[in-house]
Amino acid sequence: MSIEVRHLNKRFGATVVCDDLSLDIPAGQLVALLGPSGSGKTTLLRMIAGLEVPDSGTVLFHGEDTTGADVRERGVGFVFQHYALFGHMTVFENVAFGLRVRPKAVRPGEAAIRAKVAELLALVQLDRLADRYPHQLSGGQRQRIALARALAVEPKVLLLDEPFGALDARVRRELRRWLRRLHEEMHVTSVFVTHDQEEAMEVADRIVLMNHGRIEQDGPPDEVYDHPASPFVLQFLGDVNLFRGGAQALGGEGGADPRTAYVRPHELQVVATAEPGSVPVVFVQALTVGPNTRLEFRRHDDDSYVDVEVTRAEWLALRDRLAMKPGARAFLLPRRVTRFTSEDVDPAAMI
Amino acid sequence: MSAPGAPRRLADVTTEPAWLRRLLIAVALAFLTLFLFVPLVAVFVEALKKGVDVYLAAIVEPDALAAIRLTLLAAAISVPLNLAFGVAAAWSIAKFEFRGKNVLLTLIDLPFSVSPVITGLVFVLVFGLQGWLGEWLRDHDLKIIFALPGIVIATIFITLPFVARELIPLMQAQGIEQEEAARVLGAGGWQIFRRVTLPNVQWALLYGVILCNARAMGEFGAVSVVSGHIRGQTNTMPLHIEILYNEYQFAAAFAVASLLAGLALVTLALKYFVERRVAASARAVAGPRL
Repeated sequence: MSIEVRHLNKRFGATVVCDDLSLDIPAGQLVALLGPSGSGKTTLLRMIAGLEVPDSGTVLFHGEDTTGADVRERGVGFVFQHYALFGHMTVFENVAFGLRVRPKAVRPGEAAIRAKVAELLALVQLDRLADRYPHQLSGGQRQRIALARALAVEPKVLLLDEPFGALDARVRRELRRWLRRLHEEMHVTSVFVTHDQEEAMEVADRIVLMNHGRIEQDGPPDEVYDHPASPFVLQFLGDVNLFRGGAQALGGEGGADPRTAYVRPHELQVVATAEPGSVPVVFVQALTVGPNTRLEFRRHDDDSYVDVEVTRAEWLALRDRLAMKPGARAFLLPRRVTRFTSEDVDPAAMI
Repeated sequence: MSAPGAPRRLADVTTEPAWLRRLLIAVALAFLTLFLFVPLVAVFVEALKKGVDVYLAAIVEPDALAAIRLTLLAAAISVPLNLAFGVAAAWSIAKFEFRGKNVLLTLIDLPFSVSPVITGLVFVLVFGLQGWLGEWLRDHDLKIIFALPGIVIATIFITLPFVARELIPLMQAQGIEQEEAARVLGAGGWQIFRRVTLPNVQWALLYGVILCNARAMGEFGAVSVVSGHIRGQTNTMPLHIEILYNEYQFAAAFAVASLLAGLALVTLALKYFVERRVAASARAVAGPRL
């Protein structure tokens, strides 16, 4: 089922949380609402679910206006960041809850409920835990149970609020992959909120980047990464170096170009001699984390720092070839420079 | 003491010297013995001083039986009403945002901060013959003061905070996420309350009811003012005990008092049991958040 959001507005007191938001989500898509905390992404998700009432604007499910519809009638599945499992019920009863509370006329029989719950527990690979209580499970298991519970009512839309936010890194990665697979199998329209760009890039078909209650950019992961619409998007999706003032040096545009140029750390090449468009720097230090090495340089002209990311092997070769010791001189040559035509950069958004 | 090693020395620096610990424990025990244990024993000793026959006679005496009945009746009416009020108040305070929430929270505590005698007097001023509603009540042949309704009203007021006070912190700590989850899954208001909210607070609720009941049966001050002390009619157990005592029937007074003391012991035992369940269920409910 498709979701359409039209001109949604929401404020809490004086704070504008959602500022005239419009969004189209076709049926079957897996969309990430990505943004820093306070960007309004969770509020948007809760308004789609019906847990929050918008001040103005409409939400349409499959072309039908559901803005005024009660949460119970929307047929959504919602997964909470902190799972919100019913602590006094077993895993089985948690998953069965949505079926048991149905009005008598449409409530499945006990045998049908058992079969459905067993099927869902098998889907989340936790069928052996049916008789446990939530507090006996690990975080990842709880979140999978929460997902099974949400799926039990066969929702037409699945909404997930920072579903992996409370889990440790390894479990997160596992669950991401698992959610991706699940979506491929079930093809239910899904929207999940995250502040983790990596998670959004990895899981979603499409990323909606939000900031200050507005949509900054909306598109497939590769597109938003390769063609960021604003400095905010560029910065939010990964580390980036800013070249102010001396930016004319980059790309050799000539003349004093006051605009800022942005270059990602892995898009800089370290060279021994000056080349057109290169920037003279002094090597400061190298930090190796896993397979990559992060090199820190200081610029000659304005003493600002520039990060360069290379693979570990590249770094070892570079060190031998250029005799890189702290204080050594080198030049940085960008392979790719991003500039924005309208340069009304909000300094706060840069953080 | 030939066990040096790090753990031993660590214990030494983090706890007080042995003599001080023993002294503090002794002081606490002596205090408890003097003010709690001795009086409790005294009640039973005095009650049985003149033999079991006198003890039983004092309890089955018609006025005493009437007092016991009245006490049970007043508790049987006021405790369920306060249970309903407490749940409603806690539910609205913990789960909704509304104007005047803090005022309501403060008002719930009012019975704790007002002397029970004042409470009784206020009700006499409102419902008594010379009171605001006195004439109207008399014209309609309704008797509140010096009758069961007055006693029940005073008891309800005095015991109002117990259930609500137990539930509010727990329900606030639990938040509304589980209720939201239930709502999204299609549960209605009553289903959410019965299947999600209530099971999450059941032990705290029982705990509140036990405390509420103990106080309802033991209340003296407010009930004393509104009851009128009519023997066999408006005397509750505490009032009956006072009258017997004032008439120098010590054995009889202590005999009835021993019933209330027994109730207190049962309450303590229940409280101990329920407290452990409250702690256990708080762990279970809080668990999923960790």
